[in-house]
Amino acid sequence: MIELKHVTKKYGTVTALEDVSFRVEKGQTVGLLGRNGAGKTTALNVLTGYFPPTAGDVLLDGMSLREHPRECKRRIGYLPERPPLYDEMTVTEYLDFVCELREVAANARKKHIQEILELCGLEEHRHRLLGHLSKGYRQRTGIAQALCGSPDALILDEPTAGLDPAQTVETRALIRALGKERTILLSSHILSEVQQICTHAVILKNGKVARAMALDAREAETQLRVTAAGDGKRIQKALRETEWVEKAEIVGTGPDGAVTFRVSGKRPEGNPAEQVFMKMTEKGIPLRELREEQDSLEEIFLKDTE
Amino acid sequence: MKTIWKRELKGYFYSPVGYVFLGVFLTVSSVLFYMEILRQRSGDLPQFIGEMSYLWMLLSPVLTMRLLAEEKQKKTDQLLLTSPVSLPGIVIGKYLAAVTVLALAAALTGLFVLVVAIYGTVFPAELAVNYLGFVLQGCAFTAMDLFLSGCAGTPMVAAVLAFGANMLLWVMDLLVNAVQAGWAAEALRFISLYQRNEAFLMGQLSFAGILYDLSFAAVFLVLTIAHLEQRRVR
Repeated sequence: MIELKHVTKKYGTVTALEDVSFRVEKGQTVGLLGRNGAGKTTALNVLTGYFPPTAGDVLLDGMSLREHPRECKRRIGYLPERPPLYDEMTVTEYLDFVCELREVAANARKKHIQEILELCGLEEHRHRLLGHLSKGYRQRTGIAQALCGSPDALILDEPTAGLDPAQTVETRALIRALGKERTILLSSHILSEVQQICTHAVILKNGKVARAMALDAREAETQLRVTAAGDGKRIQKALRETEWVEKAEIVGTGPDGAVTFRVSGKRPEGNPAEQVFMKMTEKGIPLRELREEQDSLEEIFLKDTE
Repeated sequence: MKTIWKRELKGYFYSPVGYVFLGVFLTVSSVLFYMEILRQRSGDLPQFIGEMSYLWMLLSPVLTMRLLAEEKQKKTDQLLLTSPVSLPGIVIGKYLAAVTVLALAAALTGLFVLVVAIYGTVFPAELAVNYLGFVLQGCAFTAMDLFLSGCAGTPMVAAVLAFGANMLLWVMDLLVNAVQAGWAAEALRFISLYQRNEAFLMGQLSFAGILYDLSFAAVFLVLTIAHLEQRRVR
């Protein structure tokens, strides 16, 4: 589990992060979202110990990064925005160096590197110089180095930035595969990517957490906009009697006396709109409008960051 | 630290830097050997070693320019600083790699000693002291230049800064005899790495000289670590 606890980071007089707190539970894949300059990269750099926070702390499985930097760093694999590669080394030499840095036992290193090469699809390129690799393979090598030492948590900063569509698809598939066994926190500008890969999202705005939410839960929730004519309280009661409805809030009243509700609840097995329609018919309430209303991640992002 | 030392040492020879350093060092020292020893039919090795020591001033920047500045420029420092290795471990590992190449260069000049030993007389104890001073002086220059590599944003800037600082030390040495005020001359003599080396060249095992060279190197290593730590916190 990774936790940022009241983290503030200042660069001189500029505050890049202000009292940021959020948790990434074991096994979750969390997308860190935000506009340019929102503090995503700063948050990741603080989290990986690249630089210390001005205030607050980072906890890894309850252990303080400030107090136990060596232990904590051993548990994190980090892919920065620009993969930290030494162009004059071959892929294998480089991974061997990173394994040694991450204190992988010498007798286990060869097997470990072989597994990483297979996982990242780098076997054919193992003897190539890093300086000669294409951008996609450099990115893969960057992910491969983050896997050295089998860290529990992976921190990926814009893992698909600058890749062509085919490479992007491959990298996403790789991250999804890695997410089955590890805790992953990744930053991205591409909301559809976060939607595809992540189970949760944290939205940053001007160095503060604007929202932390479960993407699965968002998928599992249904929201309808219902407009009906009649007494508002009677309509509300009828809506609440519908099996799946948890909340029915009045959002407006029309000049003709029609009342509009936002109805939400856990997505039922059947069609939610049909169930509301049946209930209204049963109660003899004339419906004026019934439509599904779902905030997309884009809408949420724009609302939170505007 | 050992991991960093190994990588940097290999790094010198993955790239042309190590070969350029050794090539230029051996070429210039061969010329000096010809002029001081062969042409004059002399066995004056201390004189030869004294002249070789000026090569540290010229070539130490080649060894140190990439060590920290390039990590910063290419952002590979993110790999090192987020790994379980401590900052002192990183700095000392890099420093020891540079010192290893420097010691290798000094060791290769043993071929010249061998030539003198075949055709003349060599005093091993005196020669060992000469070489000790020679290598310690190189270690001191390397530590100062490593600090400047940590301050610079690119290897080229690091090289220019280091060369300038080395020249300044040399100029200070030239001023020792030119300065009229006694206290100023004394102060310059105290600071000068070249003046400290005089005792070693005369075959005297100067503990003050050893202490000064080692302290000089240690101060710059501590400054390098402090500067990098400060940069992280900023």
